[in-house]
Amino acid sequence: MDGLKLWLAEVGRKAYVAFIEQDRWKLYLKGLGITMEVAFFAAIIGIIIGTVLAFMKLSVKRNGKPSFLARIANAYIDIIRGTPSVLQLLIMWFIILSFCRNKILVACLSFGINSGAYVAEIVRAGILAVDKGQTEAGRSLGLSQFQTMRYIVIPQAFKNVLPPLGNEFIVLLKETAILGYVALDDLTRVANQITSRTYEAFMPLIGAALIYFVIIKILTILLNKMERRLRKSDNR
Amino acid sequence: MITVKNLHKSFEDNNHVLRGVNYHISPGEKIVIVGPSGSGKSTFLRCLNLLERPTEGEIWFDGQCITDERVDINHVRQHMGMVFQHFNLFHNLTIMDNIILAPTKLKLQTVEEAKENALKLLTRVGLQEKADAYPASLSGGQKQRIAIVRSLAMNPRVMLFDEPTSALDPEMVGEVLQVMKELADSGMTMVVVTHEMGFAREVGTKVLFMDGGNIVEENTPAEFFGNPQAPRLKEFLSKVL
Repeated sequence: MDGLKLWLAEVGRKAYVAFIEQDRWKLYLKGLGITMEVAFFAAIIGIIIGTVLAFMKLSVKRNGKPSFLARIANAYIDIIRGTPSVLQLLIMWFIILSFCRNKILVACLSFGINSGAYVAEIVRAGILAVDKGQTEAGRSLGLSQFQTMRYIVIPQAFKNVLPPLGNEFIVLLKETAILGYVALDDLTRVANQITSRTYEAFMPLIGAALIYFVIIKILTILLNKMERRLRKSDNR
Repeated sequence: MITVKNLHKSFEDNNHVLRGVNYHISPGEKIVIVGPSGSGKSTFLRCLNLLERPTEGEIWFDGQCITDERVDINHVRQHMGMVFQHFNLFHNLTIMDNIILAPTKLKLQTVEEAKENALKLLTRVGLQEKADAYPASLSGGQKQRIAIVRSLAMNPRVMLFDEPTSALDPEMVGEVLQVMKELADSGMTMVVVTHEMGFAREVGTKVLFMDGGNIVEENTPAEFFGNPQAPRLKEFLSKVL
């Protein structure tokens, strides 16, 4: 009995040190704010870049060979996928955008550019997964390539794209844990700092992990809901 | 109405599908094309509205050479309806929106006009109560009837049918053929690729037999089925009839 009491008191003390003392919970909250901010804006940048790249990649010359734009898109994707995102972040911060002192901005751009390469493949696959007959039917009615894309292919591709896009966002959100490399106080770095200040690893690290988990769980539920709504036309 | 001159089509893998097809279709004719698979009949049909670009040769439609690079093919296609083997209804749209999409987006009709017209056509094929349904909830036969209506909503001058009943359950073939027969009776110019010999005999003004990338025999249905000339056609008919 006494052992249990002692153990509970110890856990309570550790939790107090990790979260309450000196208002440390505010640091976690701030860290989470930075994590979410970077993930959110990077996702938007990534979706824009990725969509543009996807259409570049899909463009073909009359003879069926990849166009100049497609080559550029391929090179972009190769470079981004072929190097670690930590390095990309460091290169952006210390070399390419070294004149820019706004760390958040640099982080959003770096992650956005990185995510764009993956989103490009997702969007391209989503468009290619739409049955060719849909395009043929649209074109046979006299609709232009653009109109067929706009009214028929893209709405259907959107349904294909949403689940992997949600997945990409989740990966992105967790990948921001490397923001500490450029001294941005995201959730992971905050937990790490508190660990080294209090000499207690368990509570800050597990606490931060739990926060990530809950956020992503909520996201997953929202995404599933959206997906179900989009599938309405499949079975009515 | 449609004149085809020396039409060649080969695909990338050096597969020479069409080998110099020549043909002329007059207004009001119902041309039925039959032949073994791989004979080029579907490719021929798909060349007529340039879903496949011919590698060589010319196609003239209403006095215009549509294989000319400068021709606005989207505009030409507005006058040529096409019905596909797999229906190809737009999954993301209701039946009504499937039908009015092209006429309204191409600014040929207002939404009200298009809807009124669509309802008339739907009534003609007995599917007016399906206007707000999605394609996924329809049977194959219903889908194909809707696909025909969707093409007709553009008021085409000619209708192309690419094996319209081949993907249907046997029970549903009749309802689609019935719609096609009524369409034929209304005077529409039609080009039909099919395996339905009964339809060819009954509705066709001309029946073509294609084999090896060319038209091997062309005749009226009575002569075509009653007195076939080419040995390949005789062999074909002996197997399918």
